[in-house]
Amino acid sequence: MSWTKIFAVIRREYLERVRTKAFWIATFLVPAFFLGYMAVQFATIRKTSGERRVAVVDTTGHLAQPLARELAEREEARRQKTPGARGIHWIIEPRPVVGDLEKTKEALRREVVDKKLYGYLVLDPALLEKDRAEYYSISVSEFVALEQMERAINTVLLREKIREQGLPASLDKELEKRVDLKTLKVTTKGATEEKGGGIIAAIVFLAIMYMTFFMYGFQNLRGVIEEKTNRIVELVIASVRPTELMLGKIIGIGLVGLTQYLVWSLVAMNLSLPGIASMMAMGEAGAPTIPLSTIGYFLLFFILGYFLYASIYTAIGAPFNTDQEAQQLAMIPSMLIVSGMAVYPAVMNNPNGGVAVFASLFPFTAPLMMFLRTAIAEPPPWQIGLSIVILMLSTMGMAWLAGRIYRVGILMYGKKPTIPEILRWVRYRPGKVLQPASPPAS
Amino acid sequence: MTAAIELENVSKVFGKFPAVDSLSFHVPRGVVFGLLGPNGAGKTTTIRMVMNITAADSGEIRVLGNPMTRETQNRIGYLPEERGLYRKMKVVDHLLFLAAIKEVSREDARRRIAEWAEKLELKPWLKKKVDELSKGMQQKVQFIATVIHDPEILILDEPFSGLDPINTAIIKEYLSDFRKKGKTIVFSTHVLEQAEKLCDEICLLARSKKILEGNLRELKRRFSRNLLHLSVDAPPAEIASLPGVASCQPVNGGYVIALSPGTDQREFLRRALDRHPLQGFSARDPELEEIYLDAVRAAGIEETRTIE
Repeated sequence: MSWTKIFAVIRREYLERVRTKAFWIATFLVPAFFLGYMAVQFATIRKTSGERRVAVVDTTGHLAQPLARELAEREEARRQKTPGARGIHWIIEPRPVVGDLEKTKEALRREVVDKKLYGYLVLDPALLEKDRAEYYSISVSEFVALEQMERAINTVLLREKIREQGLPASLDKELEKRVDLKTLKVTTKGATEEKGGGIIAAIVFLAIMYMTFFMYGFQNLRGVIEEKTNRIVELVIASVRPTELMLGKIIGIGLVGLTQYLVWSLVAMNLSLPGIASMMAMGEAGAPTIPLSTIGYFLLFFILGYFLYASIYTAIGAPFNTDQEAQQLAMIPSMLIVSGMAVYPAVMNNPNGGVAVFASLFPFTAPLMMFLRTAIAEPPPWQIGLSIVILMLSTMGMAWLAGRIYRVGILMYGKKPTIPEILRWVRYRPGKVLQPASPPAS
Repeated sequence: MTAAIELENVSKVFGKFPAVDSLSFHVPRGVVFGLLGPNGAGKTTTIRMVMNITAADSGEIRVLGNPMTRETQNRIGYLPEERGLYRKMKVVDHLLFLAAIKEVSREDARRRIAEWAEKLELKPWLKKKVDELSKGMQQKVQFIATVIHDPEILILDEPFSGLDPINTAIIKEYLSDFRKKGKTIVFSTHVLEQAEKLCDEICLLARSKKILEGNLRELKRRFSRNLLHLSVDAPPAEIASLPGVASCQPVNGGYVIALSPGTDQREFLRRALDRHPLQGFSARDPELEEIYLDAVRAAGIEETRTIE
């Protein structure tokens, strides 16, 4: 092994890729896409605002007014909490029953269709008996609006019941209180509060790993084939051993991936901090406190997994002359990577169950799933150890196998080799005559 | 001093097909050595084994006295038959990379690239991508890549195939420069005419086997077949019917005549002068092609493949 030569290969692979426009376009397009996605989400949430003129058919006769008051109070409270924020402005119009209830509803329906009303609410004793109220509107998927209405109705009904039972009116505030379920992750070292930030970080890491195995693993396949079609490989092999060239390529391409993540994390820190801050303010996620162990495990499984998949992709690229020829076999690592994600829900739901244990020991799913388990639960140390050992041995075995196929494959041109032929290359040992040389031709 | 390259009983079998069959030859230092033979004779396989790109099944190969090591690999300049470059790389970056994998320091490499670019008029192209270069320009880049580390031995596989006449002339000039500096050049070709003009020593291959090896001048003497060149204006039948003529080949303005063994040249010329008005005559050395065909025949190999 000559590290001078390997370094030269790494340098070339890295610089030639990082210098391309395609790399920078991809690097900036992905964050731009995510920011755009977040902006659209944010915009749609904000768009749930404006006037909502709703007719209330109150056959009880004493709920419509309190409801209108309750909605107005809630609106005022929201405005005080976040000044300047636009929200839904409810305009409640109590309507009498004209004729019978069905006729009234029919008339209101026409008003909604004619856009005179946004919707109408029916508060009828027969329905309320069954804990139901009916809300008719052209838009029934406006969750923010619907929730506001539902909460207001419940509060009004609660107060009504308190009054009916002759209980003190101040009881409503007490009864409306809800218990907040605080989740704490139990580890051998004690219990720490889990606000969801740790899990979100683990999922982000998992997505990065998954993407790297796919994208940058596949880059190895393309790189090998490119060198063959360019007919440059023989010139390089005259100076660098095939294993050195392979290693240099895998490392170089891996570093390109890491560069991309570095750019992304810098972009995330600078641009989307307000986004994260607002998300945290909305109480959806706690501050992402990422434990050091998670980062450590991420690096370990990331490197081992990347080498494993890069070796597989290299071995698959080496025998072929075009991407198309290699495509069929390239399905294998792709399926293996996807299968790691296929068991993701099972591992999430039961991080120490049978599926999780198997997926975290099976070398092709282990990088993703063992990492996930260490991040969300606390798998037994022997399982972590065993998983790492199996993964390391598999990676070394795969690199060895890839090296053997690579060595022969890169000089093979012409006809697309069959799988038995490729397997023969693995067994082939130079210096040993596979078949005795035929006697001199007469 | 040890030979530049030595092969002893080297064999290589691909499946059932013997690519190289117990081949031995040695290349003295400071010569231009031609590895000759038709396509498929085993030239490229031999060169790849010398370069340690393909491993020999049996036999021994020594380069500069020892089996090929990393250190000797860095002292060889190699131009493969399948020539390619990274198409998207800038010329100067490409050359720097190829120098780096020969463990040439970056400063040395930069200096030599500048020198060679000057000599081969490539300077304006150094910052361009390989893709943007003409084929002839790319050939110059490939040649610089072969010599960028100032090698002691040059191994060139079919160096002139695909080269335009101008580049052929340029490369030939630099090869003779290299030889003057005492460096060894090994090249393979299936064009015997080129070999004839360049080589000091040759090794002829046919059907995976060596059929002839040695100093070209000595070989010519050894294979001299009593050839005469006659400048004469006469029908071929009459010339062929002259006593002592074994074969008669019409050439421009006359004939090349091979005399049958035992025929005295002076006796034959006297008789020929009696019958025809000879404008001139000269003794003629055999051409490499003739030596090749003789050697193939002598080796008893049925060579159906044509050679240029």
